[in-house]
Amino acid sequence: MTSMAAPAALPDAEWSECLLPAGPVPREMAREVRRAVGALPGWVPRLAPSPWIVRAFRDTIQRPAAYLPRTFFDLGAVVVSQDNSCRYCYGAQRAVMKVLGYRDEYLDRLVRDFHVVDLPPGERAGLDYLRRLSRADPRPGRAESEAVVQAGLDRRAVTEIAAVAAFCTFNNRVATLLALPPDPIESLVRGPLFRFIRPLMARRMRPRARPPEPPPQPNDGPLAALVTALGDSPAASVVRRMIEGAWNSPVLPRRTRALLLAVVARALGCAYSEGEARRLLAAEGLEGSHVDEILTHLGSAQLDRREARLVPFARETVRYQPAAIQRRVRETCDAMSREETLETIGTVALANALCRMSVVLDAPRAAG
Amino acid sequence: MLWAILTVAVLIVLLQVRRSRRTVAALERRLEVASRGLESLQQAFSHFAPAEVVEEIIAHGVSTRSEKKEITVLFADLKGFTALGERLEPEVLVRVLNGYFERMSRAITAHRGHVSKFLGDGILALFGALEANPWQTNDAAHAALAMRTALADYNAALRSEGLPPLAVGVGIHRGSVVAGVIGSAELVEYGVIGRAVNLAARVQTLTRAFAVDVLVTEAVRDVLDQRFRLAPMPATEVKGVPGPLATFAVEAFDPTSDAPARPAGGRQSG
Repeated sequence: MTSMAAPAALPDAEWSECLLPAGPVPREMAREVRRAVGALPGWVPRLAPSPWIVRAFRDTIQRPAAYLPRTFFDLGAVVVSQDNSCRYCYGAQRAVMKVLGYRDEYLDRLVRDFHVVDLPPGERAGLDYLRRLSRADPRPGRAESEAVVQAGLDRRAVTEIAAVAAFCTFNNRVATLLALPPDPIESLVRGPLFRFIRPLMARRMRPRARPPEPPPQPNDGPLAALVTALGDSPAASVVRRMIEGAWNSPVLPRRTRALLLAVVARALGCAYSEGEARRLLAAEGLEGSHVDEILTHLGSAQLDRREARLVPFARETVRYQPAAIQRRVRETCDAMSREETLETIGTVALANALCRMSVVLDAPRAAG
Repeated sequence: MLWAILTVAVLIVLLQVRRSRRTVAALERRLEVASRGLESLQQAFSHFAPAEVVEEIIAHGVSTRSEKKEITVLFADLKGFTALGERLEPEVLVRVLNGYFERMSRAITAHRGHVSKFLGDGILALFGALEANPWQTNDAAHAALAMRTALADYNAALRSEGLPPLAVGVGIHRGSVVAGVIGSAELVEYGVIGRAVNLAARVQTLTRAFAVDVLVTEAVRDVLDQRFRLAPMPATEVKGVPGPLATFAVEAFDPTSDAPARPAGGRQSG
């Protein structure tokens, strides 16, 4: 599971060798990532075989939020990555924070207990809500989101926190399940030249205000209500693209992807996502009674060999310890191609993200 | 003269600042150590109680949260261990028992169960108590089969040392319990109360009468994956249960079986 409190010395936590080697990056993909984030991060050569996962990483690290306080995305990412024991995201995000001028002492205090750092009450309550969403043990309800509004954050910002939780969930799971090695930015901020190049890097990485955007159109694919609930937040387009990217990728059959979503939804008690998965499975020709059987026992004669391995695995991605899940990924994806492995990990990560984000459907709609 | 006084004053201030910095650094180091200790404690606690309960205890020093939930209870007990205990040296007995607990606990936690208590040579394990688990009953049955395999391995090791093998009986029941932090000011623990716990213990005692190692109730059978091969046992009167109790021995799990799922429903309340 995602632990109650991640170890303070996260860089020393048990973390296996990366599951996939770095590979060639298509020129267009490299150019797009460079244009968006100013450099070619270490994850690109590992994730390149799945363009939608690369796009999702690129989009989410650009902090797509219009209503949240500007620093919230970064603070939230470091808190959740630490809580999820994601060695890669925690190390990379901490390095980004150092580029942005945060001191180690502040970051230590933040991850130790964000309740004691100097933050407005709304942001502190927002971080608490974000961590509850990420843990989903259990998924927070309307009372918890209202508490954040009472503490001073705009209702639309609270909706965006659910999107931040989804993005962190996605990135942490992809990085942890693949066991991505530490990002080069970590050694850069430890290097002797860092203090000289920091201002230049900070200019490039500083969070910028993002205006609200028209909701994505069309929005008629899977889980459309979730995207609609994000309103005119820039997060809505990112979520739509992530869903479409996964759903339209030909590497895994749609039926398999919908089954993985259904299992994660059942594990997290997310009725909306399970309903959507059932609708998608019905469209793929799987009868409701067979879906019942699969979700009740995580197995069925209706499953093909690959699905029979992936269905029980999906359940284990909901809560885990990094070293244990990394061993499990190796066993599960043993006979699968690099592309299939990546797509499996991307799909379960997305399912976890969406099922956590679906709390936006419980909350009262934000006034636009 | 004025310059000399000023220089001395500045030096004193600098010394004070240096001393204060050292004190702050030492306090921060102590805080860091304390914080790591607290985190370890928090992690350790999360194996004994649900996350919400741990958070409440950390925030308020006490938890008053209690809830009714449906869980699966596994009760395991060594058969004939009392007689065995009389034959073995105390240190050998403790070593054998610890080896047994170690292996059984590993089999239980590997299937998302949580060992709630060791009671003499008995083990009370709960599934679905610490976190919501829609597959808790299948997990408990898988854990029981893993315990069977682990015990066979352990017995091979005991035999090679010239020690007698162990035999275990496992009873599994699913039902409603009240879960919460229970105890007195001197000793508290996260525990469950309810008929389901007693019934699992009673079912475990039936393993001796039927000469089997894993027995489940009808409430478990009704929701169990059909790929578990079960053998019905004669319905038997047990203390505290009105009417004869139907039980089923778990023989094996056949992953290649294409048997359809048992229909849900017909659950026996615990």
